[in-house]
Amino acid sequence: MSAASQTMPDGSGSRVQQLTDHLFRHEAGKLVSILTGIFGIHRLQMAEDVVQEALMRALRTWPYYGTPDNPAAWLMQTAKHLALDLIRRESSFQSKQTKIVEFVEQRLAEGGPEAEAMFEDEIKDDRLRLMFACCHPSLPQEAQTALALKVLCGFSPKEISAAFLTTEAAVAKRLTRARQRLQEKNVAFEIPAGVELPARLEGVLQILYLLFNEGYKASSGDCLIREELCLEAVRLGTLLAGHSAGNQPRTHALLALMLLNGARLPARLDDQGNIRRLEEQDRSLWNQAMIQRGIMHLGLSAQGDHACEYHLQAGISACHSLAPDAASTDWRQILRLYDHLVQMNDSPVIALNRAVALSRVEGPSKALNAVESILDSQPLDSYHLFHAVLGELEAQRQQFQSAAAHLRTALKLAEMASERTLLSRRLEEMESLSSD
Amino acid sequence: MNSPKISTPEYMVLFRSTGWQENLSPEEMQGIMSRTLSWFEKLSQEGKMKAAQPLFEEGKIISGKKGRTVADGPFAESKETIGGYLLLTVDTMDEAVAIAQEWPLLDCGCTVEVRPVAPECPSFKQIAEEQLALSAA
Repeated sequence: MSAASQTMPDGSGSRVQQLTDHLFRHEAGKLVSILTGIFGIHRLQMAEDVVQEALMRALRTWPYYGTPDNPAAWLMQTAKHLALDLIRRESSFQSKQTKIVEFVEQRLAEGGPEAEAMFEDEIKDDRLRLMFACCHPSLPQEAQTALALKVLCGFSPKEISAAFLTTEAAVAKRLTRARQRLQEKNVAFEIPAGVELPARLEGVLQILYLLFNEGYKASSGDCLIREELCLEAVRLGTLLAGHSAGNQPRTHALLALMLLNGARLPARLDDQGNIRRLEEQDRSLWNQAMIQRGIMHLGLSAQGDHACEYHLQAGISACHSLAPDAASTDWRQILRLYDHLVQMNDSPVIALNRAVALSRVEGPSKALNAVESILDSQPLDSYHLFHAVLGELEAQRQQFQSAAAHLRTALKLAEMASERTLLSRRLEEMESLSSD
Repeated sequence: MNSPKISTPEYMVLFRSTGWQENLSPEEMQGIMSRTLSWFEKLSQEGKMKAAQPLFEEGKIISGKKGRTVADGPFAESKETIGGYLLLTVDTMDEAVAIAQEWPLLDCGCTVEVRPVAPECPSFKQIAEEQLALSAA
């Protein structure tokens, strides 16, 4: 931070117009989608470069002239001119140059409100086309997430690497390969339709879910970027749910799940950056607007007779979101939802979470039995939360020594400072209780 | 500092970019943009900014003692380009330097050059002074 920004005089009557948060990042995602529609998915990199250059021009000139009245339109026009320059210069475009130029003029035209409304729909279509391309099954999943973050959300390789705990070079490589793959496989820039749509939509939902979880799980990494990931997944999910191709019960279910969980993000850490458990969170910090939207989408997800995992997880999250305080949580309902969930997904982590719900309904001993009977619990051994849960269950049974032993193991496995602080605090409590 | 004394000292601040843009993310660009805008705004409100303009990237470099060569530049020659200038009206070099140190793009590895602006052409100035002396006489 420069000193200047701290001593900035009040901006009344100034040419310093406060830009919307993340405007550049969000516009970058939109513009790459539009330009990919023009250049073709095989020239994705070119679209990204043009957008980067348009943003650079803003950075080079706005400080001198002030922000334009409509920053998004300025960026769009600049990108348009850059694209046209490129098309006129590139010999590979020559055969169909006139057609493309016409197309660009038409797609990026300045028009009245009517044209703008039409144009907004066209942008949404382009964004969805790019979303389906990024989540194409021919790409490895990690490439899909990286590509979506780069081209749809406007994150840089460095920012993506911070979120995924890998190196910038690794992300750059992943992106290059992904772009090549799209080209080799001749992936179409289109919204799938007909029989192809359900499976492709499932793929997109999975990627959004992954993005959200990557941001939500507080295991490690850059906190700010992780929160951004969650919000981006919500943005893309909203776009998808609002489009006829994506307007499906499971899309609404996923969106509800992300909104309801995302609403709790502001309460998850205390001032020192330590994790607060759900029952310790200040519920007045929960984002009520997000909760309301979440509940609305949960309602929309209830059409049809099929409940998917997203439905159940959203339902569980809704139980927490709607409880005015921890004590009034409807654990019976949560347990019922977990009972369904474990039937659909045999992940030991879900079974572990079900055990926590069981402890609230039927007590810690039953829950411990349930944990012991988790099949395939071996992967849990190295999972710090597994030992933390065992510790909490033993604590509820007043078995403080055993609780302390489990918490010690959890502490050995936990990597994130904020989680370690929480575990150490609990361990101290257990140690003092067991010595009484 | 041996620059000639002039009635209103002026300092030219030249912003030099060094290929920093390749690695900036849109989010970072927006942050730097807002900070730079505020920085200019503050200087303008304090009345220290006489002029400021960005320079277009596309330019030509002309050289050659015999037969002029015109090349696209400046980037063909070097990655370092002057992206714009700022003309400061402050009393001392120290003050100009202190202002230049606050340029947000320094954080991105760019450099900034501060140069005292020489007074107007001395011969013109001399004529002007002589005329003034004559009219006073």
